[in-house]
Amino acid sequence: MDNPGRPRDRHLAAAGAGADEVTCQQFVELITDYFEGTLEPRTLTLVEEHLVMCDWCVTYTEHMRATIDLIAELKEPDLVPEPAEHVLAALRARREAR
Amino acid sequence: MPVDVAMAASDRPSDEQIIAALRAGDERAFHDLYARTYATMKRVARGYVDSDAVAEETVQETWAAVVTGIDRFEGRSALGTWIFSILINQARTHGARERRALPFASVAVGDEREPAVDPDRFQSDEDAWPGHWATPPRPWAKPERRLLSLEARQRIKDALADLPDRQRVIVGLRDVEGCSSVEVCALLDVSQENQRVLLHRGRARLRAALENYVENA
Repeated sequence: MDNPGRPRDRHLAAAGAGADEVTCQQFVELITDYFEGTLEPRTLTLVEEHLVMCDWCVTYTEHMRATIDLIAELKEPDLVPEPAEHVLAALRARREAR
Repeated sequence: MPVDVAMAASDRPSDEQIIAALRAGDERAFHDLYARTYATMKRVARGYVDSDAVAEETVQETWAAVVTGIDRFEGRSALGTWIFSILINQARTHGARERRALPFASVAVGDEREPAVDPDRFQSDEDAWPGHWATPPRPWAKPERRLLSLEARQRIKDALADLPDRQRVIVGLRDVEGCSSVEVCALLDVSQENQRVLLHRGRARLRAALENYVENA
């Protein structure tokens, strides 16, 4: 595993991670890139390895998914105010111009 | 870049049908489109202006411009792209009038340090496993009744409202309105990198708010 010559990729550098593992503290900073599918391959491997070994970070991941699901439920299609009078007037003008 | 926000779906009228209806001043077709896009438009506008009231006003001005200007729309872009470009122009004008710096423009968001989780919850350099959990998260039962409650919904709604402006706009568009990252970056003129940083911080705060609720309620 140890290969000091390998360049660290930008995600690992940003998370302050070493080349061979990510810590929990680094994992929680990588989770959005992980969900977005934007991790570089090497980091993705380390993140997936971490998840195999760390039940706590699996729990953190489940928290995050549950959070995102709950945020999605905040969509409220019904809370739409009436269009402004000048917008409706512009529509009327179109009808009357026909 | 095509922006399909809330516009394209198989059970909905095509751009051509909507354009014809708008040109005819068809109020029902207008209402349909207006109601479907309102929340997203308001969130986008709110990315450029300083208050909800001005964002709402901007949406109305946009529709007035769309209805009066629909004859000039030549169909070279998707209708949604055209409507949102008008919205963004109007919002920018408002933002400039308020003399408020555009919230997404050229801000190096990566420079502001804001950890996703309180650093005290991890082991320090003196501990056996530096950087690993000291106070790990506890599983939320599935289904967690507390999370399904109206109270939880209100908690997360409040937490979303309390996010810093840029985080709230990004989380709102991505996770509430369901926009893609490509759409959000185009709509707000924000880089992919900054969009992800803001999304990450916003979501982390909301998770922490829910954890706090589950653990302490």
